[in-house]
Amino acid sequence: MNLALRDVRRHLARFLGTAAGLGLLLTVVIAMQGIYAGMVDDATLLTRAMQADFWVVQRDTRGPFAEASRVDPSLEARAAAVPGVRAARPYTYQLIQRDHRGRVLRIALVGLGWPDDPGTSLPLVQGRRLQQPHGEMIADTSLGIPLGETLTLAGEAYRVVGLTRNALTSGGDSVAFLTVADTQLVALEQPPEALRLERERVLERLRRTDLGRGQPGLEDLAADPRWRAPALASPPHAAVLVQAGPESRAAVREVLAGWGDVTVYTQAEEEALLLGGVVQRARMQIGLFTVILTLTAGVIVTMVIYNLSLEKTHDLAVLKLMGAPSARLLGLVLQQSWLLGALGYAAAWALGEAVFPLFPRRVLLTPTLTWLAPLVTFGVVTVASVLGLRHVLRVDPARALEG
Amino acid sequence: MDAPAVEARRLTKTYGHGSGAVRALDDVSLSLARGTVAALLGPSGSGKSTLVKALGFVSPAEHGEVRFGGRVVVRDGVALADLAALRRRHLGFVFQKANLTTFLDARENVELACELSGKRDGRRRARELLAYLEVSHRERSYPETLSGGEQQRVAIARALANEPSLVLADEPTAALDGARSRVVMELFRRVAHERGAAVLIVTHDHRALDVFDVLYEMEDGQLRPATSPPHPPSRSSP
Repeated sequence: MNLALRDVRRHLARFLGTAAGLGLLLTVVIAMQGIYAGMVDDATLLTRAMQADFWVVQRDTRGPFAEASRVDPSLEARAAAVPGVRAARPYTYQLIQRDHRGRVLRIALVGLGWPDDPGTSLPLVQGRRLQQPHGEMIADTSLGIPLGETLTLAGEAYRVVGLTRNALTSGGDSVAFLTVADTQLVALEQPPEALRLERERVLERLRRTDLGRGQPGLEDLAADPRWRAPALASPPHAAVLVQAGPESRAAVREVLAGWGDVTVYTQAEEEALLLGGVVQRARMQIGLFTVILTLTAGVIVTMVIYNLSLEKTHDLAVLKLMGAPSARLLGLVLQQSWLLGALGYAAAWALGEAVFPLFPRRVLLTPTLTWLAPLVTFGVVTVASVLGLRHVLRVDPARALEG
Repeated sequence: MDAPAVEARRLTKTYGHGSGAVRALDDVSLSLARGTVAALLGPSGSGKSTLVKALGFVSPAEHGEVRFGGRVVVRDGVALADLAALRRRHLGFVFQKANLTTFLDARENVELACELSGKRDGRRRARELLAYLEVSHRERSYPETLSGGEQQRVAIARALANEPSLVLADEPTAALDGARSRVVMELFRRVAHERGAAVLIVTHDHRALDVFDVLYEMEDGQLRPATSPPHPPSRSSP
């Protein structure tokens, strides 16, 4: 006869209520870990998807994900010319926020080096890669823009031709991939009034010079809306991504690192910088939250199990008087703890399956988390039952004779 | 002649120290044969419960020895056998309150006692015992839904589940009215005579003393035979 189950059956509602409460706590613990795993995965997915051997960034900066990085557009051609380099392509990265169909979209725009890179390395779940240099984009499903729909950016229409899943930044923003030229169009977007004022300013400067006064035709040129100031013609890139053959990687790195205007990181180093710099604080914060929540869950289970044991003090005394072996009575407490943990964990998992997809941040239930979470739960409820077990051992059978 | 079910020799137990010490058992000797139903009378604090605890291997006396089935199992406070196992297999307890396990129904309470004693077919045996004590119609009821008399019947059934050699009952009728009290005492008499168990009952209830084979009285930790019962004792000696 299983005493633990008999006791649970007798106090089913209370036991299930406790398990549900524990389940809610465990849901938060699992969510915390899942959010952290999702954050790490999101952060590294973007760099992995680029499939670069080297990230060449602005000198003494830590790359586009950590801080602003600007490299001259000529760097692409310089890097491509280094012996051993198979391909070099520009990379741009910027965050924008736009209204679309009544929603505010926060988008990380990543530039693809057209025509060499139409998004070949991106894990598409629907649609295709870019097929023209302008007006197409690959968007993440989390943006909620279906395939074929157009998004207006900088006065230009961009049609979604491909969809990725879980292409997010470490900040949780959804990524959209355009050609580098298109991302720069968006980056340099200026309202018409700003353009008019800029032209007025140029004209004023021109009129103050001898050249401007002597060559009136220059004023017509400056006033032409098709004309742009030379300084704005070649905007910088965030980085240049370099691919090199395995046999020439060391040599390529040595050459690139010798240039005074850039710093070179391998793919692994760029990921480490990203995780160490951007995700580290979140890791510590989430880690602390997890520890506190786990301890809270442990304390609650401890008190629940201890109270269940206290309530049964007289029953335990009678059973001891009847000669029930201690192992059997300890088993009663321990099995109830385990059952509470199992039910709580099952409730947490079921609740998580239902609500995690609704979270604004991705909750990634990694295989490690899948086997570690029940093990930790089992450990916590086992440790939490110690007070209850101690109480069982201390119950004096003589108490049964005391009325 | 069979060995007595239980035999206590020169038991002594003192609570407290120095001038505040109270001698709860003072050189107590007792022998109960199987098939005997004995009453233990005496005022509160006279040592009755201490004697029951010593005979039930719950709280051994400091000095003296207790023999069970002719074998010494406790001597001078030291257990010479597995006392929990002895209780499980050979002793039955009935309390002032029924003290049934609250999360088990009537049948399960008895069935658990069968199981603990290692008896096979506990469920069938539990049903038989509940029928024997005329409470089988409440076998699936939880303790709190049973009347006081029904609870005591279930408690007696539980005490008999392991076919005990010795049943110790501590004021089992204290919570019952006169009529029900007599019925329960009669049950104990039946148990002793039909099932061959030695039954020792601590009681203050003088209305049913005629059902006992032998009466003992305790005062200030000392045990002595009390007024002779109406029925002659069958097989017991003080």
